[in-house]
Amino acid sequence: MLSSFVTSARRITDEFNRWLSGSRRPQPLPRAEKPPPPKIYKPLCRVVLTDGVGRSLFEGFAAHQESARSDEETGWVLLGVRDEEEALVLATLPAGAERDAGAAHVLFNSSGQAMASRIVRRADRRLTMLGHVHTHPGSLRHPSDGDFRGDSQWVGQLRGKEGVFAIGTVEGKSEAGAPIASQPKPHMQCWNGLCLSWYALGQGDARYRPLPVNFTLGPDLARPLHSVWSIVEKHAERLDRLCRQQADVRFEIVARQTGSALVMRVPLCPPGSEVKIILHEKEEQYHVSLNGRTFVAKPEDDRVDRALYLLLAELAGQNG
Amino acid sequence: MDFRPLTETERRQLHTALRGNAEQDRVILMDRRDTSFVGMTEEVTDEEVISAIKSVPCHY
Repeated sequence: MLSSFVTSARRITDEFNRWLSGSRRPQPLPRAEKPPPPKIYKPLCRVVLTDGVGRSLFEGFAAHQESARSDEETGWVLLGVRDEEEALVLATLPAGAERDAGAAHVLFNSSGQAMASRIVRRADRRLTMLGHVHTHPGSLRHPSDGDFRGDSQWVGQLRGKEGVFAIGTVEGKSEAGAPIASQPKPHMQCWNGLCLSWYALGQGDARYRPLPVNFTLGPDLARPLHSVWSIVEKHAERLDRLCRQQADVRFEIVARQTGSALVMRVPLCPPGSEVKIILHEKEEQYHVSLNGRTFVAKPEDDRVDRALYLLLAELAGQNG
Repeated sequence: MDFRPLTETERRQLHTALRGNAEQDRVILMDRRDTSFVGMTEEVTDEEVISAIKSVPCHY
């Protein structure tokens, strides 16, 4: 009985000491939910577009046909999720007004697209490069030999070492203003006289192969950026540099009477303080929120990265 | 520690992960309790995406 009493007393003392010292009995770590196993990529069986992506491509193509540069080729980069046998396209990045294009070639403005990818991927880090779409001025629905020479080298860096490609052609309006898309072949979509033909090409393939295309419900995650694309292009390299140099930079798009604007927020110390840069088509505005006060700043430089650093230097000087 | 041989599926997954890590800097995830292999993250780096965007060839 004495032994039992001593054992109980020791246990109570140990527990009290542990409580006093703040330590606890070591608990087994909760086993984290296991992530999915690595994907083993196989040749693509199909490409799936969200309805938002489909609208962006066809509406963008239609707008291009109505534009002053309709005799040139244009295109879009496709971002999305690469699954083992399927590619899901979730975002379209336009070639941009600063593309190098003519009646028989197009080279996308990659600076604007790269910056846009940084913004879009803040919402979903799974988004990867899947491939691209470009238009042909005539009725050639298949990628050209020149396309093959470039793409066959390029696809080696993609997930699964395979890319998704589409060719846009103008087929002539069978039903003027027809609001419903049709799919005459598994790899073709047509809408209002415009047609997209889809292909896959893997590293080492001798030719493109037709790729069946399907729709699902969902957004084009980059569509809001299309309204400020000229602003993204204008500041692309400077914004890209700032994203690499400053942590937790955030972006949003706001609609103004004068048109949409791209807003960049750079956090400051203390928490809740920030520099808000509003990038309009023709001007930039700088708002500083610090210690509960907000004021407008006018840095003496129209280059957004230099203007921000001048502003930060001024704020650092005010803090002594 | 579990020293059993890997199953064929586990062996293939580990091989893919190691190849992805060596060739393309893909992240390998390990169990924090025993450092065993648990998979790969689906996240893609900005550098991977931007490199692909910047190298899109001219099209004709």
